[in-house]
Amino acid sequence: MSIKESSEAIFSESPGKIALRTLRRDKRSIISLAILGFVISISLLAPVYAHFIAHTNPFNSSLDALAHVGGKSVPVLEASTTGLGLGVTPIGPTWNPSSYFLGADGQGRDVMARLLYGGRNTLLIGTSAAIICIVLALLIGVIAGYRKGWVDAILSRLLDVIWAFPVYLLAISLSVVLLTSGLTVGFIHLGPGSFALPILIIGVVYIPYVARPIRAQVLTLREREFVRAAVGSGAKDSTIIFREILPNIIPSILVFVPIIIALCMLTESALSFLSIGVQPPSASWGTIINDGLALLYTRPWVGIAPGLLIVLTAASLNLYGDAVRDALDPKTRSRGDS
Amino acid sequence: MISFIGRRFSAMIFVLVSISILVFLIFFATPGVDPAARIAGRNADQQTLMQVRQSFELDKPLPIRYLSMMRHLFVDRDLTSYVNRGAKVIPQLSQAIPATFSLVIGAAVIWLLFGLIFGVLAASSKRKWLDPTISFLGIVGVSLPVFWLGEVVNLITQSKLHSSVFRWVPPLGYVGLSVDPWQWFLHLLFPWLTLAVLYAGIYVRVLRSEILVVMSEDFIKTERAKGASEKRILYKHAARMSLMTIVSLFGLDFGALVGGYALLTEVVFGIQGVGKLTFDSLQNFDLPVIMATVMYASFFVVFMNAVVDVLYAVLDPRVRRA
Amino acid sequence: MRRRSLVLNSIISAAAVAASVLVGGATSQAASAGGMAPYDPAHAGGTIKLVAAAAAGSLDPKINYTGQYWQLYQASYDGLLGFRYGDGKASFEVVPDLATALPVMSNGGKTLTFTLRSGIKFSNGQPVTVADVKASFERIFKVSSPTAGSFYNGIVGADVCLKTPASCKLDKGVVVDAKTNSVVINLVAADETIISKLAVPHATINPANSPVKDAGTTPIPTTGAYMFKSYDPNKSLVMVRNPYFKEWSHDAQPQGYPDQIQFQFGVTPTAQVTAVENNQANWAYDPIPADRLNEIGTKYASQVHVNPLTAMWYLPMNVNLAPFNNVKARQAVNYAIDRAAMVKIFGGSQLAAPVCSFLPPNFPGHTDYCGYTKGATPDKPATAWSAPDLALAKQLVKDSGTAGQAVGIVVSDDDVNKQMGVYLQSVLNSIGYKATVKPISGNIQFTYIQNTKNKVQISVTQWYQDYPAASDFLNVLLGCASFTPNSDSSINMAGYCNKSFDAQMNKAMALGLTDSAAANKLWGQLDQQVMKDAPVAVAFTPKQLDFLSSGTKNYHFSLQYKMFVSQLQTK
Repeated sequence: MSIKESSEAIFSESPGKIALRTLRRDKRSIISLAILGFVISISLLAPVYAHFIAHTNPFNSSLDALAHVGGKSVPVLEASTTGLGLGVTPIGPTWNPSSYFLGADGQGRDVMARLLYGGRNTLLIGTSAAIICIVLALLIGVIAGYRKGWVDAILSRLLDVIWAFPVYLLAISLSVVLLTSGLTVGFIHLGPGSFALPILIIGVVYIPYVARPIRAQVLTLREREFVRAAVGSGAKDSTIIFREILPNIIPSILVFVPIIIALCMLTESALSFLSIGVQPPSASWGTIINDGLALLYTRPWVGIAPGLLIVLTAASLNLYGDAVRDALDPKTRSRGDS
Repeated sequence: MISFIGRRFSAMIFVLVSISILVFLIFFATPGVDPAARIAGRNADQQTLMQVRQSFELDKPLPIRYLSMMRHLFVDRDLTSYVNRGAKVIPQLSQAIPATFSLVIGAAVIWLLFGLIFGVLAASSKRKWLDPTISFLGIVGVSLPVFWLGEVVNLITQSKLHSSVFRWVPPLGYVGLSVDPWQWFLHLLFPWLTLAVLYAGIYVRVLRSEILVVMSEDFIKTERAKGASEKRILYKHAARMSLMTIVSLFGLDFGALVGGYALLTEVVFGIQGVGKLTFDSLQNFDLPVIMATVMYASFFVVFMNAVVDVLYAVLDPRVRRA
Repeated sequence: MRRRSLVLNSIISAAAVAASVLVGGATSQAASAGGMAPYDPAHAGGTIKLVAAAAAGSLDPKINYTGQYWQLYQASYDGLLGFRYGDGKASFEVVPDLATALPVMSNGGKTLTFTLRSGIKFSNGQPVTVADVKASFERIFKVSSPTAGSFYNGIVGADVCLKTPASCKLDKGVVVDAKTNSVVINLVAADETIISKLAVPHATINPANSPVKDAGTTPIPTTGAYMFKSYDPNKSLVMVRNPYFKEWSHDAQPQGYPDQIQFQFGVTPTAQVTAVENNQANWAYDPIPADRLNEIGTKYASQVHVNPLTAMWYLPMNVNLAPFNNVKARQAVNYAIDRAAMVKIFGGSQLAAPVCSFLPPNFPGHTDYCGYTKGATPDKPATAWSAPDLALAKQLVKDSGTAGQAVGIVVSDDDVNKQMGVYLQSVLNSIGYKATVKPISGNIQFTYIQNTKNKVQISVTQWYQDYPAASDFLNVLLGCASFTPNSDSSINMAGYCNKSFDAQMNKAMALGLTDSAAANKLWGQLDQQVMKDAPVAVAFTPKQLDFLSSGTKNYHFSLQYKMFVSQLQTK
């Protein structure tokens, strides 16, 4: 394209369209979306793997099952035969997709199959919680930082209460309540297996972590010349927020997204340890991490594998976030990348 | 300034009161936590049960119990534990505080240094591969569950490689700084590193992002036009502005950790700090200790946020204190 | 009794031994078979370091009810009687401690006459007098000891003391004479287990001026080989030699070897194993985590001691709540559980053995039978469990009409119990129920499953013997008197109250006073009879695993209090 043509092309497109095009061509976004897509699809295909490839039901305890390793049948839970013969160890990774690829857990179940099924629950809970967190944090942070005064004081105290609140106590208490009689809120009855509670708790717990930095940024931005100009010219608050403030805090929010999602997935692990959220025999990456803790000295893979998947998910979101950030930033584009 | 302090102080009271009420209600709404039967012992007869309930004031109505507990905690300062009869709660807490402070401050120094160095490196380095590598490592740090990481560290330093590479690693636990500074350091080294990993990951990413944002600001371009060297611009302006977010996060993290949020790290490494106290009291359903640790934590959270708000004004004079 | 914290420890008395000794008015001590070797000063000294995840509550010997501290009390506090320092069955014997001899029984067993030894001092220098003895018994009621109403309510005057503990006076129940050093205990009725009850820490002798409430973390002066120097429940418990101790009975309170015993708290179970391996601690208190068992069984095999216990892991089923108010459903569970699989979860066949009978192996009254194994029925039992019968279990569930019902399995949230729960969920699902696992904090699970308000259908729990008498299992766990609705203290978790079965148990208990052999035979029959009704499902009997560091020697195991701490040697 000649310089004239390309500049015409640039000026005739909306900034949004330009950003999208930049993004689509960015290698990072392609790679990261591919990885994310991979993780999501193998999680969705969990039943296919379990049924057709591994021939296992990963939700039934099978302490007497047999695994096929190198042509031989081996008990999945091997009692120790050396020394005093103490302890029973689940089989380790066989690297054979049709029989306990990553080994078995303490109940004799196929870890790989559970990992795939678990992805659904973790991705669901983790992303839902992260969305709740970020949306509410945006709301609270922007309003508090922009309005200042009484509104800011009340919202900031609310953030203080949330951040200082003993979530573990609430979780333990809630788990006993749910296990005993369930929780009835209005006409909604929640049992221990309900995902609504862990999503809500995890989402709310991290709101201050995103809201306070946003509020700090908004406090600064508000005093900038271009915002004061807009205020002076009589523009509505909502216009100012959407036109001037939000676009400038998007990069900050973007960096938080993968961090918050990773933190939400890990908090899901803590909550399912307390029996809130994913109930046995269902799996999530968090419950498998918990299982892996009890097998750390003999079968470390049970704990490592779900951690790797969390890293993969968070890292690809991270990469994608960087690509989005660069795509949205007109100054980066002028640096000549993409 | 005085009105600021006054306002924030009353805000603190508000936060402490509301949280204490919530804790109290949550505790007694939980089935099965009645301490009387657990203390009275197996197969206790009803009379013994009643004596124990009376000695705990569990037979009085809820609001009276709440006020009585608050009075014992704040006024008389002689609140005693449900589980360890006769053991005063406040001395338990004050004995645990130095350990947690040591753990958190040390870890904070490490993660701030890491965050600063690698965040700046990631944002400004000419080498193309450095940025994604550092960012990836940062995300790995965030994604590692603390308890698991601590157990792995123990597995390596205390068990598998204890007789060879890590012979110098002392047994788990905490040694006071005034008791033996060198041992204090050695005992805390791995707990510091473990706790710092998560936060280093976050701060590296955040700092890098903030620096990039600021770097592209117009006034930086003006500085460049004026001829200032890249390094000078970076350190003088970008860092200062990026600090707003970092300071916000650090206020939240430090406040939470000092208040007991590092409980998993303390449990894994056998450090008798505020976090471990919190953890034990939750396991035991020991309401007086739970209440004391929660009040302590809330105080620190509110305090740190107030400090941070003051720092905003210092960093960016345009921001008037709210 | 149950092993975990806050649960009853033991009153162990070999009823037969007690009976014969009482009749004969036996002599106090003899270096009889099974006792400890004489004290050897060459091995004395050093510090024994024990590690545990948590402290065990109050240090007051009249309050504390945990195995963790009763193990320490044996080397520190003394009662009129005590359990013998010995190996095997010898550790069940009750021997005179602060008394010169076993009591002289009179008045049809309602009066026990002791003579207090002279010359013994408390660890603060005060001499032990009969006034201290009387005050100690009154103190049981003044501090509302957990066993005040269950063990010591037979003392004359106890009923008044239970009603108004603060002003408790046992002038008629515990009659003392300072001139002759005699202590006379008067009971309301003869009690064959009183000998054991006088040997447990709740009946130890404390100074008369001990606080009249739970002493909590303040140590009370001791009479034994060790005293308590300091106690911080968040950090550690330290015992040192009692400076005023002079060995008066090698069987009851032998001299100890270490100069100091230190119990450190706050160490996770896996860290305890590592500490013992690294010689940073001598012994780990908490059960060894499953993934370390093979490691210690191979690399450190010489430091591992496994001892049998008369105990059981079992599943109480609420007979008053669906679906287990139907006997076929309960029998189905008994047939369905793979006891060998549960043994695997516990740690393997070296650490536990499948069992169907209510009375554990090597227990008075135990018979080798199993009605709930493949190829057998409760009416035609086999001699041992071999395999589950899932087909029969499924059929029974169908026949009972309870198929498809929701069942909640309440377990402790520690790893082993949780795994048991998950396994049972799978089994119950496979026989036709919709099962869920409900893990609850170990600190409240035990009382939680007792309270009928919580509507617990089935749970997993443990029972360890208090004394080797069948009544301790059958009568305590399945008797009507142990079932109190809406109370946290209702040890008959199954809620099983069968009047005719109660009558038969009373018959067996009465028979035990005169003919223990016949009584035990009757108990064996009652065991088989009640299991036809299947109020519980018995899974397996566990063993005790002790892991010691390589430098720790002279390990001896008491069937009553587990490892003898004061006899460990580091030199």
